[in-house]
Amino acid sequence: MSPFFDWPLQASGDGTEERRRERFERMKTKDYIIIAARVALAAVFIYAALQKIGKPLAFADEIRMYHILDIGTPLYIMAIVLPWVELITGLCLLAGFFIRGSCLLLVALNTIFIIAVALRTHGIMADEGIPFFKVYFDCGCGFGATFAWRKLAEDSLFLALSLAILLAPTHRFVLNPWRD
Amino acid sequence: MLRNLFYNHIFYDMLNFKRIFIEAVIIVSVASVVAFTYNAFSANGIDPFKKVDDVPTVPSEKADDSHANGIVFIDIGKAKEFFNEGKPIIDARTAEAYREGHIPGAYLLDYYEMGRYMNKVLMHLSMDEDIMLYCSGYTCDDSELLARELYTMGFTKLYVYKGGFDEWEESGMPVEGGDGKAGGE
Repeated sequence: MSPFFDWPLQASGDGTEERRRERFERMKTKDYIIIAARVALAAVFIYAALQKIGKPLAFADEIRMYHILDIGTPLYIMAIVLPWVELITGLCLLAGFFIRGSCLLLVALNTIFIIAVALRTHGIMADEGIPFFKVYFDCGCGFGATFAWRKLAEDSLFLALSLAILLAPTHRFVLNPWRD
Repeated sequence: MLRNLFYNHIFYDMLNFKRIFIEAVIIVSVASVVAFTYNAFSANGIDPFKKVDDVPTVPSEKADDSHANGIVFIDIGKAKEFFNEGKPIIDARTAEAYREGHIPGAYLLDYYEMGRYMNKVLMHLSMDEDIMLYCSGYTCDDSELLARELYTMGFTKLYVYKGGFDEWEESGMPVEGGDGKAGGE
């Protein structure tokens, strides 16, 4: 069990209570930022998932545009499973269940998304000879067509938020399934 | 329980990556089970193990009157023949695009919502007749993908008109708007 687990209900009595209280207050503020990040990420990923669930062929076609996977079992499995991973991850973040596991997944997913979007953008720039800031396509993310630079910025923000939640020392509003 | 929910901080050992990794694996496993279950019962569900990539195809320059087994790509001349002879034509685009305009007499079978339209359309087709499919034009491949699906169902005389609706309309061929055979009627 963490030494902080029952604090501040339990006074330490060793003269460090003041310092601990300050530290707790600072943590509390950061925790609310982390909670806001959780809600924001959850909203984005739940919305994105709901746009794709039940349309595996359409989503498979959008994934195919990245020229990473061609028609076949791996593509279809990805098209079936990925939206549900996003949905359940989003719900876990909202509920405060498996928060760090969810964020590990989001870090991995967002890293893959950024690489895939960057490669596709590079391909479009090379094929069509257009500058970076004019590349515009539907990334298949569930939010419709947008500028590639904007998508890359969004995904980078999601990656940063996921990392912040993953590495945050504490979490509030959690359903902790593990026995500490 | 309430205290655990709303008051206490939960501290993790930051080095406990094993636990975090297990959480991620559990989430992916649960998501996979739910996803495949949903897919099995969904109208738009797909069989991920279906082989649709090894269908024989014939390019348009080699297409002749004797149909080879598989998918034959055709140009507008052959598409006009199909239309004039009243052979079945399938529109693989969305319902919206279909309503705005389609080749007269074409059945709507949106590739991305196959489950919704397939049975209604299949009632009107037989496996041994020539069937033409099209989508919007050279840049789309929904008609070819749909032809591959139909091939796996046993249809072998499939003709894909690559020029699609755009070329058809531009060349002044008749176009029909509205619902037409959207319901497979």
